[in-house]
Amino acid sequence: MSAEIRVPIEHERDIVTARQRGRELAAANGFSSTDQTLVALAISEIARNIVSYAKRGEVMLLALEETGRRGIVVIARDEGPGIADPELAMKDGYSTAKSLGVGLPGAKRVMDEFKLETQLGKGTTVTMKKWVR
Amino acid sequence: MTVSDRQRSLQSSMHDMGLTEEAIERRKRIVGLEPADLGRIAAVKDVVARGAEEFMATFFEFLSKLDEARPLVTSHGLLDRARQLKKAHLAAMVQGEYGTRYVEQRLELAQLYARAGLEMLVFLGAFHHLLRAIGSAIMKQFERSPMEGFENFMSLQKVAFFDIGIIVDVLVMERERTIRQQEEAIRELSTPVLQVRDRMLLLPIIGVIDTHRARLITESLLRAIRANRAKVVVMDVTGVATIDSKVANHLLQTVTAARLMGALVIVTGLSSEVAQSLVALGIELSKINTVGDLQGGLEEAERVLGYRLLRNGDALPPPTMTEN
Ligand SMILES: Nc1ncnc2c1ncn2[C@@H]1O[C@H](COP(=O)(O)OP(=O)(O)O)[C@@H](O)[C@H]1O
Ligand SMILES: [Mg+2]
Repeated sequence: MSAEIRVPIEHERDIVTARQRGRELAAANGFSSTDQTLVALAISEIARNIVSYAKRGEVMLLALEETGRRGIVVIARDEGPGIADPELAMKDGYSTAKSLGVGLPGAKRVMDEFKLETQLGKGTTVTMKKWVR
Repeated sequence: MTVSDRQRSLQSSMHDMGLTEEAIERRKRIVGLEPADLGRIAAVKDVVARGAEEFMATFFEFLSKLDEARPLVTSHGLLDRARQLKKAHLAAMVQGEYGTRYVEQRLELAQLYARAGLEMLVFLGAFHHLLRAIGSAIMKQFERSPMEGFENFMSLQKVAFFDIGIIVDVLVMERERTIRQQEEAIRELSTPVLQVRDRMLLLPIIGVIDTHRARLITESLLRAIRANRAKVVVMDVTGVATIDSKVANHLLQTVTAARLMGALVIVTGLSSEVAQSLVALGIELSKINTVGDLQGGLEEAERVLGYRLLRNGDALPPPTMTEN
C-alpha cells in the first residue's frame, strides 16, 4: 500500500501545494491529463474552502487500488465552524461569502464519489474519490 | 514580542511543521527512544546538570571560531537568547519529558539559528562538540563501570538525535521558505503588461495564478489600459495548469473591468483541460472572447483595431479618402 500524502492547509500557497500533489498522484496512477486537471480543481476548491471558512485544516491524498480499478481518494478535514445547512451549501450558486458558490457542487460534479460531513462548531470533512477511466 | 505572542507563534510553527503529539511519538520511535532509556538518562542527570555551563561554553566557543556563525555570535540579542535557550535545553534533555513543550523549545532555538543563517553543517559541528563534552563527563563519572556509562550515554544520544531531527527540519523548512519568497517576488515582477502596438496590450500569464497574483494582474492591467489608452488586450494563459472558481472569478471581473474602460480582452492559450474543468465547475465562459493560440489572438486583436494583414505581393487595397 502506498503512503498517504498529507498537506497542512492554512495559507493560499498550501492550496497550490495540495492541488499540485493531487495532480502528481493522479498522474502517477494513470489518470488522463483531463482527469488530472479535474482532480486538481476539486482539491483546489475544497482546500480553498478550508482557508476561507475554517482557517486551517488538512488535505490527505491516497492512491486506491481495488480489484479491477485504480483511483485516488482526497480527504479534506478541518475543525472550523461547520456548515449550518449542508444541503443548501451543495446548491450551485449558494455562498455565504458572495463568491460563485460552485466549489462544493462543482467538486462533486468532477469527482466520482463525494461525501460532505459537517457538524456545527465541530468542523467539516469532505471525502472525494475518482477512478481511472 | 511578548511571551504570549511568542507562544502563539511557536504553536503555529508546530502546526505548520505537523508536529502533533502523534508525530512527536513517531519521531521518538524512529530514534528508538523507549521507556527503558528514561532510567538511564536519569542516571546522568546530575553529571549533565553540573557540567551545563561548561558544555554550553564548548558549543558557543566552537561557533565563535567560525566565520560562518558570525551573525549569531556577533548579534548580542540573538546570542543571549541562544545561550538562554541552550541552557534550558541541557536541563530539559535529562528531565525525561520529551513531549510538546520540549519540542516547542527545540523549535524556538532552531528558528533562532535559522534567523542567524546558521548552516546545517555548522550547527552539526557545534552539536557534535557539545555531545563529545557530555560523553567525556559521563564516562569519567562511570569510570568503574564503563559499559553502564556508555549505555547511559547512548540513551541520552537518542534524545540528541531526536533534537537534531527537529532542528534539521526547521533549517530545511526555513530555506524552502526563503526560496519560495524569492520565487514569489520574481513571479510578481514577472507579470508584465506589454504594449504590442498602439492601443494594443499583451498580458502573458505564466505559472501558478493564486488570488493574490490575480489581484496584481488586475491592477497592473487596468493601470496599463489607462496609460496606453488601450482598445484591445490579449491575455495569454498558456501553461496555466489550474484555474479554480475563485481565480476564474477574478479573471472574469478583470475582463469586465477592462471592458468598462473601453478595452476588449481576448483570452488565448486556455488549455482544453482547463476549459473543460471550468465548464464542469459550472463557470460561464461564454462572456469572454477566447482564441486558441497566442498568434491567433494577436491577429484577432489587430483586426479589432482595424489593421489588415497583407501578404507580400498582394495588391494594396484602394486608399480610403480622409479629409483633413
Ligand atoms: N470547510 C468549510 N467550513 C465551513 N463552511 C464551509 C466550508 N466549505 C464550504 N462552506 C460553506 O459552504 C458555502 C458554499 O461553498 P462553495 O460551494 O465552495 O462556494 P463558495 O466558496 O464560493 O461560497 C460557503 O459559502 C460556506 O458558507
Ligand atoms: Mg468555495
